[in-house]
Amino acid sequence: MEKFDVTVIGAGPGGYPAAIRAAQLGAKVAIIESEALGGTCLNWGCIPTKALIASADLFARMKRSEELGLKPGRMSFDYRAMSQRKDEVVTKLRSGIEQLLKGNGIKVFNGVGSFINRNRIAVNPSGKIALAGQRSYKIVGKSKAIRSVGAPPRGAISLDDSPVKQETIIQAGNTIIATGSESAMPGFLPKNKRVVDSKVFLGLSELPSSIMVLGGGMIGCEFACMAARLGVKVIIVEMLEDILITLDADIRRELRRGMEKELSIHIVTGKELANIKADRTGVSGMIGKERIEAELLLVAVGRRPMTKDLGLEKAGLETNGAGFIEVDEFCRTGMATIYAVGDVTGGLQLAHAATSQGVTAAENAVLGARRRAETVIPSCMFTWPEIGTVGMAEHEAEKRGINVKTGKFMFAGLGKAMAAGEPKGFVKWVANAETGQLVGAHAVGPHATELIAEAAVTIRAELTVEEVGRTIHSHPTFSEAWMEAAHAVQGECIHQPSFRSRQPPGDYGLTSQLSRRKK
Amino acid sequence: MAQTIVMPRLGQTVEEATIVSWHKQKGDPVKKGDILFEIETDKAVLEVESFYDGILLKVLIGEGETVPVSTIVAYVGKKGEPVPKRAEGGGMKPEEAKPPAPVPERKEPEVEPAKKERQREVVVSVSAALPSPQVSSFIHQPSGASKRILMSPRARALAKNKAIDPSKISGTGSNGRIVVKDIEAYLEAAGYNNLRISPAARKLAREKGIDILTVRGTGIGGRIMVHDVERAIATQPKAMSKMRQVIARRLTQSFTSTPHFYVTVSVDMTDLLVYRQELKDQGKNFTVTDFILKAVILSLQEFPTVNSVTDGTTVKWFDSVDLGMAVGLDDGLVVPVLRNAQNLSMTEIHDLAESLAAKARERKLLPDEMTGSTFTVSNMGMMNVENFCAIINPGEGGILAVASTVSTPVARNGKVEVRSMMKITLSCDHRIIDGAVGAAFVNAIKSKLENVKLWKSLM
Repeated sequence: MEKFDVTVIGAGPGGYPAAIRAAQLGAKVAIIESEALGGTCLNWGCIPTKALIASADLFARMKRSEELGLKPGRMSFDYRAMSQRKDEVVTKLRSGIEQLLKGNGIKVFNGVGSFINRNRIAVNPSGKIALAGQRSYKIVGKSKAIRSVGAPPRGAISLDDSPVKQETIIQAGNTIIATGSESAMPGFLPKNKRVVDSKVFLGLSELPSSIMVLGGGMIGCEFACMAARLGVKVIIVEMLEDILITLDADIRRELRRGMEKELSIHIVTGKELANIKADRTGVSGMIGKERIEAELLLVAVGRRPMTKDLGLEKAGLETNGAGFIEVDEFCRTGMATIYAVGDVTGGLQLAHAATSQGVTAAENAVLGARRRAETVIPSCMFTWPEIGTVGMAEHEAEKRGINVKTGKFMFAGLGKAMAAGEPKGFVKWVANAETGQLVGAHAVGPHATELIAEAAVTIRAELTVEEVGRTIHSHPTFSEAWMEAAHAVQGECIHQPSFRSRQPPGDYGLTSQLSRRKK
Repeated sequence: MAQTIVMPRLGQTVEEATIVSWHKQKGDPVKKGDILFEIETDKAVLEVESFYDGILLKVLIGEGETVPVSTIVAYVGKKGEPVPKRAEGGGMKPEEAKPPAPVPERKEPEVEPAKKERQREVVVSVSAALPSPQVSSFIHQPSGASKRILMSPRARALAKNKAIDPSKISGTGSNGRIVVKDIEAYLEAAGYNNLRISPAARKLAREKGIDILTVRGTGIGGRIMVHDVERAIATQPKAMSKMRQVIARRLTQSFTSTPHFYVTVSVDMTDLLVYRQELKDQGKNFTVTDFILKAVILSLQEFPTVNSVTDGTTVKWFDSVDLGMAVGLDDGLVVPVLRNAQNLSMTEIHDLAESLAAKARERKLLPDEMTGSTFTVSNMGMMNVENFCAIINPGEGGILAVASTVSTPVARNGKVEVRSMMKITLSCDHRIIDGAVGAAFVNAIKSKLENVKLWKSLM
């Protein structure tokens, strides 16, 4: 039986960085993956969607390029080619991870890992391996039936370590569980090829002409925007009172305006999609008395943790009511040698959060350190307009009893945004009025997902309005918006009219100047 | 002319009160009977109603301010009506030439004049012994403290900017005045420049007067983060509520000046509980406390020594049983009083105890309903305790602590039986109550509680 210092279950964005960090620290490391290296993020999530969105974005911008003096002529696209490029990107990145793991001397097991007891793990051949790659689907003929075409592309798992053929038992040492999550498919949905989750959607080699999206969360909205920008008719049905309900209200309003007015996405909120039916030609459902139809139903109602093959009970662990493995601030489970990171632990289900937790767990496991998982977690949404956000939303800060002061700066006031022909959007700071500490940052509009990085550093370092306001931001760039918005918090914005402009300028000390924001 | 609103006198012993919150703001219309503001006294939180219709013209005493009773706190009158000039100078002058405005009437239990006299004596002796504004020995008062420290203005600004406590610095200027050089030397010696502090944390510390040198950083490399300062703020000593301060004062006084001694007996409650259930089935609801109170009242009449108080040289026997009943609140404890309890029937005891307890929990007790008890019962029966010893309420000679009733194997008629046993512990002032008296007293209570025939005769 092979012995390891650290065994990681799941080679997604939480698992593989954990394995690499543990190896860097000198541990002998095994990683167990039942599907494809890179996990959901690389194979069926962040990366493939961004590849498609890049195509959709350029296409949509080209359609409006006459505004910039271009003459693009007749434009069209080949979704199959887009999809192929996406697969190539994914394959390339996947082999990158393979190289990284190999380079760090990490032993990869292709199979399903399950606990025998708290320090032994059995790896069994995975039934899923054959499906590990992207299965292609095609919408064919007049009936528009969806058929699966061809075998999954080769190289889904192209490792030297061939898939385990029979049960292999290893001595796990410290274990880091990073098995991630999968789309939740509620039982009331019909079992039909036209009812798909995001993973299946990415395997389509052709775009339907209309899509119903069930769930107005991050995944639903990203797919909706991508498809709408390629001309697909999209309707989103969200049970809660708004899409992306946890976002800051100002940002949500701007996003919804963009999606409805400019992408013509039909958004229905606060209502249930009932009586969902699917047949060979399409899907339909009822919203109240109104019947809606589309060629495809994309289900994006949340993701549920993948724990079923782990045999947690044999390790003395159990999941909470929602099925997640609970961890403390050091990423520890209830069992001393077992850690868990990423989606399987609940919380913010984001790849970069998982990566950070994975590295933390690895350090704690190998060094016996007591490093806390980071709590400042930015999130990016590749909707259109894009969104970047970190820290507290205004309503959240108020709920915590913080005396809140906010500052906003519109891109329309930025030279660069005007020059680039991207004048819509804004950034917003949420500050503690008493200390000037920046506790939340929100950006909506072009490059918002890149812009949020500065804000994440700012908030993590506990910088104040004063410091960001005084930091020179290069001109002309979109990033100037953060500096201007910091000035706006103090009512001293240079490039934006201020309601406070007639008041005597405040000292940068803020304290006496900031009064509670009146609603 | 505008009508004055004064801080009402809510009992003979209340000399000052704090305005907790204003329910009306300046300019608000006010109707007779509207609640104007809430006050907190030593004893309770109460709402004060308006006696006039009109507009709240001016508020002189803000929230959180404490003033003597009868101080003018606001004016109510017609819109635009001028308020007396005097008001501009601050409303801190109590009762000038004019008689004070009518004090809100409140329903108070009828008390005979003689008794009122006694209550005053007893309680005044408590509060007079320790003047109310006490200076805490460990509350660091940055504003007050820094005023006393001789510092140059530049040094003061520097200390504030660095978020340090200048009282720890010895000055080298004339008269020990602290100058910038001293602060710089202090910072150097304290290793201030090696501190890593997040900007927001520094600002917060400055704002809240936290000495940053006392804060331990938990960020990377020991960097002091906002939550570290927040923790320091949370652990700063802060003033207790008035009620807590009164509790502290009274208990300390009693415990340090009264030689306590304790006698415990176990009471077999089995038969009484059965009888209580019978009564309940007949629709007569009594609590266990009702029976205990009654048993104590009866026993106190048999043992007047226990219903008395001493100051060390004189002893005073009370002519009635005014039984105090400790009621726990979320943030303290109050002792409403069943006056002339010797005259109360079981039903009257039940009703009065219930209404007093409810009032106590709603913080609606009037000060006079909480003073002048002659003996107290503290029942923790519902809190699952086996036994405890209470501290005597000042002005009394004893207190009875009642613990939970527990199923216990006991020897009875030569056999072991499981009975419902309840321990009661008398704490008494040994200066007037000897061991034998204490023992006889608790056994008198015990025998009453165990005698179902007695209860049947009392119904």
